[in-house]
Amino acid sequence: MQRQVMTLTVNGDRHEVLVSPRQTLLDVLRGQLGLTGTKEGCATGTCGVCTVNNAEGEALLSCLTPALEWDGEAVTTIEGLERDGRLAPIQQAFVEYGAVQCGFCTPGVIMSAQGLLNASEQPGEEQINDGMAGVLCRCTGHIKVKEAIRNVGRFRDAPAK
Amino acid sequence: MAARPDDKLNVIGRRQRRIDGFDRVSGRSEFTDDIRLPGMLHGKILRSTQTHARIVRIDTSKAEELPGVKAVVTHKDAPDLMFSEHQPVLAGDVVRYVGEEIAAVAALDLLTAEEALELIEIEYEPLPSATTLRQALREGAPVLHVRSPDNVGPTMEKDWGDPDRGFAESDCVIEDEFRTPMQHNTLAELHVALADFSNPDKLHMYTPTQGAPMYQMELAKGFGLETSQVRVVYRNIGGAFTGRGRPKPHHFVAALLSRKAGKPVKIKATADEEFIMFRASGETVYKFRTGVTSDGVIKALEADITFDAGGHDEWAMILWLPSVYLNWVYQAVGVRYRGRFVFTNTVPKGSHHGGIMGRMSAGWQQHIAHVAQELGMDPADLHLKNAVMPGHESPDGSVFASCGLRDCIKAVVDRSGWKHKYGKLPKYRGIGIGLGAQASGSKAADNDTSAAMVKIAADGVVTLYTGIPDMGQGSHTVMCMIAAEVLGTEPESIRVVQGDSDITPFDWGAFSQRGTFTTGNAVKAACEDARQQLAEIASRELDVAADRLEFGAGRVAVRGNAEQSMSFSEVANKSLHSTEGRFVMGRGFFNSPKPFGALAFSFGAQVAEVEVDPVTGAVTVDKVWAAHDIGRVINRLAVEGQLDGQVFSGMSQVLYEECKVEDGLILNPSRLEYKLPRAYELPEVDYTLVETIDPYGPFGAKEVGEGPIVVSMSAVAAAVQNAVGAMVPEMPMTPWRVLRMLRATADGSTDVGKAWSEGLD
Repeated sequence: MQRQVMTLTVNGDRHEVLVSPRQTLLDVLRGQLGLTGTKEGCATGTCGVCTVNNAEGEALLSCLTPALEWDGEAVTTIEGLERDGRLAPIQQAFVEYGAVQCGFCTPGVIMSAQGLLNASEQPGEEQINDGMAGVLCRCTGHIKVKEAIRNVGRFRDAPAK
Repeated sequence: MAARPDDKLNVIGRRQRRIDGFDRVSGRSEFTDDIRLPGMLHGKILRSTQTHARIVRIDTSKAEELPGVKAVVTHKDAPDLMFSEHQPVLAGDVVRYVGEEIAAVAALDLLTAEEALELIEIEYEPLPSATTLRQALREGAPVLHVRSPDNVGPTMEKDWGDPDRGFAESDCVIEDEFRTPMQHNTLAELHVALADFSNPDKLHMYTPTQGAPMYQMELAKGFGLETSQVRVVYRNIGGAFTGRGRPKPHHFVAALLSRKAGKPVKIKATADEEFIMFRASGETVYKFRTGVTSDGVIKALEADITFDAGGHDEWAMILWLPSVYLNWVYQAVGVRYRGRFVFTNTVPKGSHHGGIMGRMSAGWQQHIAHVAQELGMDPADLHLKNAVMPGHESPDGSVFASCGLRDCIKAVVDRSGWKHKYGKLPKYRGIGIGLGAQASGSKAADNDTSAAMVKIAADGVVTLYTGIPDMGQGSHTVMCMIAAEVLGTEPESIRVVQGDSDITPFDWGAFSQRGTFTTGNAVKAACEDARQQLAEIASRELDVAADRLEFGAGRVAVRGNAEQSMSFSEVANKSLHSTEGRFVMGRGFFNSPKPFGALAFSFGAQVAEVEVDPVTGAVTVDKVWAAHDIGRVINRLAVEGQLDGQVFSGMSQVLYEECKVEDGLILNPSRLEYKLPRAYELPEVDYTLVETIDPYGPFGAKEVGEGPIVVSMSAVAAAVQNAVGAMVPEMPMTPWRVLRMLRATADGSTDVGKAWSEGLD
């Protein structure tokens, strides 16, 4: 299988990478680029742990995305949410509301939540349920995850901790 | 010194955010699969495609010749390397289940390793197989192990107290049967092992674990090493739920490949392979018998449990786990337990979240509700009448120094409006109550030790060294809270060194609900040691008696005179950077003084309210009221998280989770087809924390890590039982099973459960 050079903008940084046609976007992020914040869970699209955001800010399962199809595109990963060393509001909300336990699914859960917030600043209960249906958190039962999303407004323009 | 309810505490009891929260939400937490060692190879395991077969021939020559392949191993490479007593790590002449490890390859990359597996030739001679309990116990069934001609492996038969007298004193004896299926834990972080055995004098094992010592001991034994020659590294762990208590075959295989290739080797499960690697819980059949007097006094309790052990008896501990639970909830005269392992041609079994107690409780607590029904009693009244109390000594010799079970029952009955609901809800709605008890730590043949160290640097920074793994439960935050309380500082200012058996002091780890209780006591002792050393130095510097000093806000001050004080850094500096050169370092350990069993027990009661859809059979859990006596609450935020997670996992097991197995093959090894609740399915949870102050717990704390799930499972099961009008004899209570129950109860079939179980194969 012929490997090809592709360009990918991740968290605002443009990269040129050599990619095999069998590799997924997740493989490239974790392997070639060393951005291991995005985790590999089931790698079959069932757990949502690998979720990143596409250029439109929507949630995207990186494990089901063939890398070469994403040539020239831009994505945001968990490492790209901070601004000036300060956690994004949704990240702060997750810490404060206890929405994090083992932390393995957390990057994917946060990127799903961020995708939801990109579409709607204050999503309603039904939107939260729909938007978070694609990720599986084994520890929290999603209860505090939803609480964190509901209360994210508290952390917008809040002083950094 | 025993904790008292009126102790003045600054840190304990807060809603404390995780000390590692920043790393976890920002992608900084490093998990095993994120580690790349220089020269690292990727390993893959070749697994049996047969349920039961003789291996006639293995030819690995083509795989070995494939460019990029660095090592291939089979049974011949390690004929004496055993995983359990009768089970080689790589199968010898016989395979006994689909997925059994036969050979393995290490290659430069994963694709090459996968390609090499395809090139290994295996010739099987199929043998007759038995893949269910029923098949294995049938007369003339195929035999898995010559030593067990009837396929029955280890058994346990034990009576506590006098069950014969208990049954004799009973006015009525009720019997029920229950069955639970094979279930799997679907951990967030799939199983992974990165072994570096390139220096044969030291095996470095990077892997998520619930405790390093078991891994060190078993790997050392397998490879003929001393325990200290095995180093286990486990920085962050993506959940465990009883699934990471001891090493699995892939740990041994990774080490074997690494030794042969002379390079580090990583083996990581694929989504479907995970269902083999995990060693989940197997099909289990329970027979319950309870003797009661006509006025509702429970006299005798009996459970007879048959476990599908799979192809090997890997984990005999599962046999006795349910027996203790029978002892700890009600004040019976006697308890009888019979348990047996049955070999089948399926993957060897381990345990699921809640151990075997949760699965059993979903049947047992329905059975107790059935007993109440037969007596014409409200089950909540029956529970309350028989629940254990403080000071109770159970038939197995456990003594409950603190026990708030009755308060828990009263709380959930009150808060749920039970008296207005039980027996009065509209059709297709149900309400159920369940009880549970769990030990905080437990001593068996060996000790139950946790040790801890704490150092105070010259700049006053406190560093805690602990071997307790944090699989998500928040132990490290709890340990920092305990340390901060003793030393009069803030939890987030404390640094934690953990996750490396070469560095941290001995700690069995995070299982048997021993973290907060046992390691918490060790950390408390270590910090008290450091505190005493700081006090000695400060007493000299401030020229007051040490017992007149108090610790707070990172300072040591003379009580009643805040002016006269020193910061930690001043005290540490005085001792270290002086001719004395003393370095302040505290150490402590805790091991139960009892020769056997546990010192402290937590208790709980939950009420669940459910709705059953009469058309689809789907069950919706509307609300759960949970009341738990977990001793002193250390971190309220984490406790709520533990309760949420256990309600989630409990309802998941009762309503959804089931491995569909056909001819020994798991048909649904995926997180979509193996159903788990998603965000929209969770009920509201109402918490009540009954804070008994346990005399042995650190600041009076007990466990909260597994007790609640047992209770959740029993409450949800009892609620479905109440909604459909009869004991549901099988888990999970999926829509078709519920519909079948509704039909049977509508027909007036009286013995639904029994007829159903007998029809199963």
